Amino acid sequence: MTRIACFVEKYNFTYSYEAEALQTFKETAQKLGHEFHFMFRSGLSEIPKYEAVFIRATTDPLYTAYLVSKTAWELGLKVVDDPISIRICANKIHQYRLFEKHGVPCIPTIFLSKEEFHHRQIAEIFEVFGKPVVIKAPYTSFSRYVEKVSCETSFREVAKRFFRRSDYIVVQKFMPSSFDWRVGVLNGEVLYVCKYMMPKGKWKHGMKKRGKPSFMWGRTVTLKRDNAPQRLKETALKACSMIGKGLYGVDIKEVYGDYVVVEVNDNPSIYKGQEDLRDKDIYEKIIRFLAE
Amino acid sequence: MQAFQGQQLILNILKCFSDSLLSGASCLLVVSNIDLKTNAPITKPSTFLKSSFRGFVLNINNDYRYMKMGYYVSLHAEILGNDVIPTTENAVDVYRPPILLTRAAKNGTPTTPFIVTDSVKQIMAEFAFPVVVFAVNPFSFNGFQIAKNRTALYRAVKSLSMNYRYAVCAHPLRGELVSVKCFFGECASEDDGVRAVARKVYETFKVPVCKLYVQRFNGGAHLCGLQPLKMGELTPSDVDLLSKMVSRFSGKGWSD
Repeated sequence: MTRIACFVEKYNFTYSYEAEALQTFKETAQKLGHEFHFMFRSGLSEIPKYEAVFIRATTDPLYTAYLVSKTAWELGLKVVDDPISIRICANKIHQYRLFEKHGVPCIPTIFLSKEEFHHRQIAEIFEVFGKPVVIKAPYTSFSRYVEKVSCETSFREVAKRFFRRSDYIVVQKFMPSSFDWRVGVLNGEVLYVCKYMMPKGKWKHGMKKRGKPSFMWGRTVTLKRDNAPQRLKETALKACSMIGKGLYGVDIKEVYGDYVVVEVNDNPSIYKGQEDLRDKDIYEKIIRFLAE
Repeated sequence: MQAFQGQQLILNILKCFSDSLLSGASCLLVVSNIDLKTNAPITKPSTFLKSSFRGFVLNINNDYRYMKMGYYVSLHAEILGNDVIPTTENAVDVYRPPILLTRAAKNGTPTTPFIVTDSVKQIMAEFAFPVVVFAVNPFSFNGFQIAKNRTALYRAVKSLSMNYRYAVCAHPLRGELVSVKCFFGECASEDDGVRAVARKVYETFKVPVCKLYVQRFNGGAHLCGLQPLKMGELTPSDVDLLSKMVSRFSGKGWSD
């Protein structure tokens, strides 16, 4: 019997499909004979009471989730997501540098520092990548802080905003597609495969509605993992092998039959009726991994 | 006693350097945004980030916070497969008070008790006033406040948690809270306890430049927090001291 703590924040229970998935994790753990408790910010002092920690709140080295992960790691507990994975996945500069080093196919990328942020450099970027280009803040998640720009004025406006928190930002070639593959990977094995469709007329999976604070998301089309293209799965596994042996969601674009990695996310979304639609065993696999 | 401790520190630094030599790194490069007077090979962060230097990297920066230039220097060194001081792991951990205190306590440093929360009620239930509240988000240089009553505590938590977006780390204030500038684990304090804490923190995290917050009570010094130094806080004598330390580290001497 393993005592598992699931670190969550209030927002994890906002949408019914996420709350139901968390409930399914709990039920699965109990069915397998383990204890499963939700742990909030105020319960951090209770980490030593557990044997494994499963983080579902958004991870970033600046968020509380990293404190939970690192504390659990220091205490020798099994933890998903581990602090190393959080540091690599939460910082796109770190991640793309690793991809570059290990030859993982990814979108053509330039790293831009605050010091190089001037007219000549911007003109050169447009010359190399064409227009538009995509600017990403290193801390991007849930499609936020990723913007498409087509002229120097908007480039400057977006980059200036992203430079507030980071001394480096990412600039990538714009590669339009009607969907991104999302491959869920656990411990070096494919867990689930789905397509994150772009909303009609949009270029990324999650977009803010014009003039409204709310977000609109594209549909999720799920495949059985055994039916997904082999090369897609191999690309996802190669990208994850640079990071670790935890739980990841790899975003991949299909470009003229080739697969290029957009990014690897730790703490991937697992929602009821979406990622788990075709392969129902994902909850059990994750709980078994935590209890190993 | 003090001279012995100084020698011990230098031995520790030299041991760290020789370990890196044994691990295959053949030369040392100092990367610094501070104008150091040293004969050691030295370069600016922006130049280093474009290089593919192989060897040991000593990253001297007033600020190693996550996503700042000091952090990216260590990251670049690690991606190139180099040994570097400080590592990115330590650069992230050292500015997050709960991790700082947990890891320091594990290594035998006396620390103050703390809780991580965003609830004022929980802080009041655990500790009596006055309370020191540190920000867990590392956005501000002086991210701590001392609250002597309930109203001040509400105000401190609201401000340091960025309107309850992040958690805060609260400690009871049991004595005097002192801040000391620390270079390679050496600080200018008269207090043996404070100096011992500074050395232990350097031994654990290997962060060459920082500002330590230490509480003195019950006749001892207890680690409370750590923050980056502002460039303006570095006096000419600090830069001289730092230059001497870097020169000792590299074995290349000090240039006037």
